[in-house]
Amino acid sequence: MYPGLLDLYGDSGNVEALRYRCAVRGIDLEVFTHELGDEKRADIADMDIIYLGGGADYEQQQLAEDLISYRKELSDAHKNGTFMLMICGGYQLMGKYYKDSNDKKIDGLGLFEYYTEASTDKRDRCIGNIVVEAELDGKKYKVIGFENHGGQTFGSDKPFGRTLCGNGNVRGGEYEGYMEERVIATYLHGPLLSKNPLLTDYIISKCTGIEQLKKLDDSLEERCRDILLKRLLK
Amino acid sequence: MKLPKLVLIAVGKLAAVACRLVGRDAGNFPGLALWTIDKSFLRCFSVDCPVIAVTGTNGKTSTTNYLNKIFSSLPNEKCVITNMQGNNLDTGIGSLLLHHCDMHGRIHADHLVLEVDESHVPVIFKYLKLETLVVLNFFRDQLDRNGEVETLILKVQKFLEHSDAQLVLNADDPNVVRLCPKGKKAHFFSVEKYEGATDELYEAGEGKFCPFCAAALEYEYYQYSHIGRFRCPRCGYGDVTPETQIKDIDFDNSCFKINGEAFTSKYMGIYHLYNLSAVYTAAKLYNIDSKLINDAFEDFQVNNGRMEVFRTSDAELLLNLAKNPVGANMTLRLLNQYKGEEQLLFVLNDNVADGLDVSWIWDINFSIFNNVTKVVTSGTRAYDIAVRIKYSGYDAQKIVPIPDLDAAAAEIFSTGGRKFAIANYTAVQPTRAALTRYITAKEAH
Repeated sequence: MYPGLLDLYGDSGNVEALRYRCAVRGIDLEVFTHELGDEKRADIADMDIIYLGGGADYEQQQLAEDLISYRKELSDAHKNGTFMLMICGGYQLMGKYYKDSNDKKIDGLGLFEYYTEASTDKRDRCIGNIVVEAELDGKKYKVIGFENHGGQTFGSDKPFGRTLCGNGNVRGGEYEGYMEERVIATYLHGPLLSKNPLLTDYIISKCTGIEQLKKLDDSLEERCRDILLKRLLK
Repeated sequence: MKLPKLVLIAVGKLAAVACRLVGRDAGNFPGLALWTIDKSFLRCFSVDCPVIAVTGTNGKTSTTNYLNKIFSSLPNEKCVITNMQGNNLDTGIGSLLLHHCDMHGRIHADHLVLEVDESHVPVIFKYLKLETLVVLNFFRDQLDRNGEVETLILKVQKFLEHSDAQLVLNADDPNVVRLCPKGKKAHFFSVEKYEGATDELYEAGEGKFCPFCAAALEYEYYQYSHIGRFRCPRCGYGDVTPETQIKDIDFDNSCFKINGEAFTSKYMGIYHLYNLSAVYTAAKLYNIDSKLINDAFEDFQVNNGRMEVFRTSDAELLLNLAKNPVGANMTLRLLNQYKGEEQLLFVLNDNVADGLDVSWIWDINFSIFNNVTKVVTSGTRAYDIAVRIKYSGYDAQKIVPIPDLDAAAAEIFSTGGRKFAIANYTAVQPTRAALTRYITAKEAH
């Protein structure tokens, strides 16, 4: 949703990563987009996955109202098991509220209990490389990304992962994001799915119901991860 | 306590001497030293000549260098001061002024032509009187360093509300046209629709919505990224008549026309033509003869990793700096325009000056990648750019990541023919050095 507005840090790359890893396995993936001002979609609850990226404060304000008009559809989708992937701004807007750096409070969708408050000092942001350890179907996986957020998120009772390097939900925090089996809400840009192929496959598995996905040659991705993990976790 | 001007100037001059004694570049340190002592140190300088500044995300250095060349070629011109090496923050410009001022902080020159970082326009021209400001464009650039584009635009906009500088603005960038304060007349420049223009947005762009009424902007065409003939269907924002428009672009003969006069240029990339249009407009504000302008267009060469050519006996490589997606997309446009086979070298670093976040590479459009037989990637993030290119659908077998630059240079030159290279900010000088080392070693054999 809102790829035009919520695409600040290369977040559209997440869709490209899903598309790529589906295509090489012969899995059909059809991408629909909803932009601000588009006619209302009736079929939100029929999607396998709903994706929201991150945007600037100004853009998040612009679309908040439109997004709220989808509260029921998104809530139904969540209940029906549609996978929800939400990065940064998308993550914040699914919580109870978001108070931005201009001290302006935006109501969130309230799908989850967490809430976010940003410092009014615009320079007070968590910025940098980040590694969190998440659990995907019981297996630990180091998820690499880049965080850049002014908001501090409180009340996430089911975090996406434990912060190994970087901040996470709050400055100097121990945990990052919010996760359910079919929900990943996180501050990680990168784009997230380009840096973490197993996470991408986890999502594809959940969306298609295919438990054993065909293995791909991930040597470039793995080498990229090795170098970064070695540098960031020393 | 504030130190008197004379003391500050003396301290700064000493810092510059110290730099040179220890063999360090004095391009930034002396200014930084003064800034540390006194944040308003720029107040020490007095300039008695016109100050022309160039700002915007891409093209500042080239545009500034053109203007320097043109002003320097004026018959009675004795001294034009310019930060040619791109030290464009307050500390860099402070260092430049320190170098040229007398012990009272006075600067005697005919023109000051300065490249200024977007975020530093208000800081610097709080103290120096600005006569002309050229604004080229606003793209997303090193977001983790510069903040959101919108914040930057607002900063410049706020400054301009209280400035009486004459404005030279890009008529085809919705992020720039809005800078003209209500009731003021700006000097707009433009380039007519060129053969590579598209009906749909082809590369990631900024400013999709009207800044005044928030309606989605409509485009007659896009030249590149979000630069094109735009208009707000609701409030009419964007209805401006350019004072300068480059017309009759002839890529085969590297020439074009402005106001009926013919010009020739070495560089004909669409983004470059916009820079030239800006240069012409600014120069004409100072009644400079078209012949002098054309001389600069014809001769100008930047050998600093911006469209720089490296040759071996059997290969030719064009290196171009790219600090952001738009810069990289420009080089890819040139690569795709080339009819034969070619190879690409992409050098990506993530040092502090680059911005630590490399996610911007995902805003580069690799979907068209005509006749590219091999991609070599290098730099501290060689594998990130390799993965990026792989996910665009390019055959991973043809991607060779080599973090070491000398090895990467040898790899790209292992075959002959046409090559293109893209390097980001801190990567560009090491890349030039590695390419030169390779070529020198090869010639010695």
